[in-house]
This record gives sequence, C-alpha cells and structure tokens, in this order.
Amino acid sequence: MSIDLTFVGQIIVFVTMVWVLKALLYTPINDAMANRTKKIEDGLAAASAGVEAKSIAEAEAEAAIAAAKNQAQGIVSAAERRAAEVKEESVLRARKDAAAIVDAGKEELKAEVGRARQDLRKEVASIAISAAEKIINVEIDAKRHARIIDDTISKELATA
Amino acid sequence: MATEEHADGTEISAHLDYWVYQFDADNAFMQIHLDTMLVTLVVAGLMLGFSLWLRGRIVAGAPTGAQNAVEGLVGFVNDTVHDNFPVHNPIIAPLALTIFTFILLCNTIDLLPAYLLGHTAHLFGIEHFRPVPTNDLNLPVAMALTVFAMVLYYEFKLKPVHFMKELLLQPFASLLLDSKNPMVKLLGVALIPLNFTLKIIEEIAKPLSLSFRLFGNMFAGEVIFLLIAMLLLASSMEQLTTVGGIFAQLIGIAVGVGWSLFHMFIGLLQAFIFMILSVVYLSIAHQPVEH
Repeated sequence: MSIDLTFVGQIIVFVTMVWVLKALLYTPINDAMANRTKKIEDGLAAASAGVEAKSIAEAEAEAAIAAAKNQAQGIVSAAERRAAEVKEESVLRARKDAAAIVDAGKEELKAEVGRARQDLRKEVASIAISAAEKIINVEIDAKRHARIIDDTISKELATA
Repeated sequence: MATEEHADGTEISAHLDYWVYQFDADNAFMQIHLDTMLVTLVVAGLMLGFSLWLRGRIVAGAPTGAQNAVEGLVGFVNDTVHDNFPVHNPIIAPLALTIFTFILLCNTIDLLPAYLLGHTAHLFGIEHFRPVPTNDLNLPVAMALTVFAMVLYYEFKLKPVHFMKELLLQPFASLLLDSKNPMVKLLGVALIPLNFTLKIIEEIAKPLSLSFRLFGNMFAGEVIFLLIAMLLLASSMEQLTTVGGIFAQLIGIAVGVGWSLFHMFIGLLQAFIFMILSVVYLSIAHQPVEH
C-alpha cells in the first residue's frame, strides 16, 4: 500500500484512456446523438409547417367553394327569372294570336252571311221570273196576272 | 495456500499484498504493482475493443442494444457536465465519461469471488494477486492528481491574476489591505504566508479526499469480503462435513451475496461521486471572475 511507479503507470493509462475514449467512443456517439436530435427537430419543424400549410390550403379551398356556390346561386336565380319572363311572353303572344284568329273568323263569317243573302236575293228574282214565265205560259189574264205578279213580288220582298 | 495461513491469522494481510516487481530493492518508489497494471490494461483494452466494435455499427436512426446503453451514459454525462459548467470545454465530458466507466468497471471486478483471481494466479506461480485496481491507492491518486493538475492548469490559464490573488490574499488579507490604516495594511501583508498555507491545504484537500474516498470504500469492501470468506466459509472438507460447518457455509454464502449487492451499489456510487466531484472541481476553475 504505497505510492510507487504504479502511480506513474496509472497516470499514463488514465490519460491515454481519456484520449482514446474521446476519439473512439464519446465523439462518434455524441455526434450521432446530436445529428439525430437535429434531424428530429427539423422533422418536427417541417411537420408543423406542413400542418400550417394544410390549414391555410383548407381555408382557401373553403373560400373558393363558398364563392363558387354564390356564383352558382346567382346563375340559377338569373336563369329562373329569365325562364319566367320567357313563359309570360309566350303566354301573352299566344293569347294575342288566339284573339286575332277569332276576329278573323268573325269577319269571315259576316262576309259569308252577306254573300249568302246576295245569292238568295238573286235566286228569288230568278224564281220570280220563272214563276212569271210559267204563268204567262198557262194563261194570260192581264188583270189577274198583274195582281199575281204584284202579290208575288210583294210577298218575295217581304220575306227577303 | 490460504488454508495453511489460517491458523496464524495472517490470511487477510497475505491477501492484501500486491504482485510486485522491484526495480530497486532499496527504493520503495522504484517498484511496480504488476497485478494493478495488468488488470487496468485488460479493462482499458476491453473498453478500447468495445469502442472499436461499437464505432463500426453506430446507426443514425433509433439506437438499439449497446449503442442505446452507451447513448444513455453519454447523455447522462453530458447533462451532468452541462448543468455544472458555465462555458463549453470539449474535453470535460469525455474525461467524466472515462472516469465513470473506468472506475465502475474496475470496481465491478470486486464482484468476482474474493479468492478466484488470487488462486488462479497462484496456479501460475504468482504469490500475491490483488484483482481490483481501485483498491490500489496508486490508481485513485493517479486519477485525482490528473484532475487536480487540470484544475490548476485551467485556473492559471483562464484567470491567472485572480487565482494568484486568491492564493495569497484569501481569506484574511483582502479586507485588511483595503483599509486606510497603515498598521492594518501591514497586518494584511504579514498574513499573506498564513493565507497561502491555508489555501494550499484547501487545494490539496481536494485530490486527497477524492482519491482516499474511492480507495477507502473499495479497500474496506475488499477487506469485508475477505473477512466473510475467512470467518464464515469452510476452508477444508472436514469443516464442511460437520453440521456447524454447513450452517456457517450457508450463512457465509447469504452474507457474501448480500455484501456483493451492497458493494456493487457502493462501486457505482463511488464511480459517480468521483466523476461528479471532478466535474465540480473543474467547473469551479472555469467559473468566470466576479467583481
């Protein structure tokens, strides 16, 4: 139990071990740990940046969808308005056309009636003439005949 | 052999002799403890081999097995150094790591049965063999003085003026020298040698306590192992075949196991204490000067 040359030997061993372990064990392990820590920190930072970017993108997408919805609603309501207008217009036009057709029919009918009356009058005259011819052919009795002609004419005129 | 020495009571002291090679029989310093050197070199070689083995297989990703264990150790040492040091010095953490692992491994050799390595050495014709190098005062003193030399180096390198002042003027003189009274000032100057002596004692106490704490703990543990072995374990077949011999043997094994567990804890604790005190002493040397 004494201090001797072992002491010197132990100092040499100890100092060598510090140097060796620093170079071969501590530094590589410490570097590996530091690198890993840095990598993990970078990864976490990237992840949080990604989450932020995602939330921003989501907000943008939501805004775009809302704008699109607004626009679509506008387009639909405009189309509906236009459709109502078109419908009303066509109804009005149909009604007008119908009235015009009815008026034309009435006028045509009136003209037809007038024409028929004219034809009838001509027919009455021809009948009267034929009757007169017959009477003339059967007997000529000026007085009676005159009276008959007058009666006939007056009767025909009265009915016309 | 141990059994033959049992009767005259020299067994324990016989087990406390070193395997010595003397360069000069007249000079007690000129000898070397071959057992301490051999075991230390084996431990150092194992650590070197382990480092080389591990260095080739360090992975960047999640560590497993040995790398995980060493990373835990390195992280623990880094935290300890980081908590204590005001500035960064790249040598401190490897130093602390070396102190801790080296002392721990040397202490752990104590868990081998007390006579095993000694008797193995006897087979090779070596008369005395002390397996645990931390039991040898040379190792703790060598480590403590290396740390002390580093403390002095950093004190002189980082704050030479402040350190010299502290060496000569603390604890008595600094207030006296500030005084206006010339007599008081003279007293302050006269007290400088006393200050110097006190400060030297204070500084020397650091490596002294550091080394003797480790040495004392490990030496006492070794002696208790030897006592358990000598008092409780049977040393011959006749002893073992009696009822009392078997009983003593069982008690001896139980006590030995108990002390082994406790001593393992002491070895870990002493390695930690040696490391943390070295870090603290060095951190004191690194503390910036306060005005």
